[in-house]
Amino acid sequence: MQDSVVLMKLDDFFNWGRKNSLWPMTFGLACCAIEMMATGAAKYDLERFGCGAFMATPRRSDLMIVAGTVTLKMATRLKTLYEQMAEPKYVLSMGSCANKGGPYWQHGYHVLKGVDEVVPVDVYVPGCPPRPEALIEGIMTLQKKVANERLLRDKWVKNA
Amino acid sequence: MHEDLVQIINQAVPEAKAVLNKAEVGDSSISINAETIYKVCETLKKNDKYEFNVLQVISGTDYLPEGEEGYLELAYILASFTKNHEVIIKTKLPRGTDSNLPKIDSLCGLWRAANWQERETYDMIGVEFVGHPDLRRILTSSNWEGHPLRKDYKVQEIFNGMVVNPPGKMNLGDQQFGVKSNADSLSNKKPMGL
Repeated sequence: MQDSVVLMKLDDFFNWGRKNSLWPMTFGLACCAIEMMATGAAKYDLERFGCGAFMATPRRSDLMIVAGTVTLKMATRLKTLYEQMAEPKYVLSMGSCANKGGPYWQHGYHVLKGVDEVVPVDVYVPGCPPRPEALIEGIMTLQKKVANERLLRDKWVKNA
Repeated sequence: MHEDLVQIINQAVPEAKAVLNKAEVGDSSISINAETIYKVCETLKKNDKYEFNVLQVISGTDYLPEGEEGYLELAYILASFTKNHEVIIKTKLPRGTDSNLPKIDSLCGLWRAANWQERETYDMIGVEFVGHPDLRRILTSSNWEGHPLRKDYKVQEIFNGMVVNPPGKMNLGDQQFGVKSNADSLSNKKPMGL
């Protein structure tokens, strides 16, 4: 491999790097967070997908896994955290509560009926709570989405 | 134990009018007059024979039968870790209104544990604890309206600019079992956009 040259599109190169180093935010709201922790731990080992570096600040993370019930009190804080993340940023809605209010859809006076009311969501993972395999599938779906993005081309072609 | 406690209370605080509610199944309780709650608890705490040194729970219940005025009931569960026993003290309060909440003395002077318990009761049921050092809401936001565990509580339509029950996301046909609803007209509406 000495002195070799690889030819590829710059977008593809960046996407390859971005999709294999998605850093999620340490952000658990309820019981789904337990499954998220299990996914990150040794048995399911999220690090295999380059996604196990849970960052303790929104400013260094690419992905917000909304794991759990979003109460109305938390929703305003959640929106602030989302706004603090640097572009490009992604949101994965994990579990029934974050998707659509879950078991609180009828009498949940305090629950936001789906996190997509306040932030745009890229991937929904159903389940109550979803098993680690389901979360991994959600993350792989997001990786496919990231791989097909054309950030540089969109920016440069539009402004040309 | 309960008969003895009722005697002790009535002897020390006659205006408490303590009555024993003997339960055939479950726990017996002692009902007292709401205005005397502090004195009664002080008596129970300082009694050498029983030594109720722990306040375990303050909880409230809203009783609102149809067509009646209703009342609130507060239950205080006291325990003694030194003498190993528990007692439930119950007291009734009028329901009051949002601007004029029912009042009862705070127990923060007796047990520090009362602080958060009373804040939660204030938040959920709407009882004002007179003499509480810091009576704020504890679970809901500070700008919340109403007290959620009251029977006549109405869910806010919009909170901090967020729609609490977006019509496009609510399956109202299922929600109102058997009741003829306007679910058909609502189902045409699009879900809330971003």
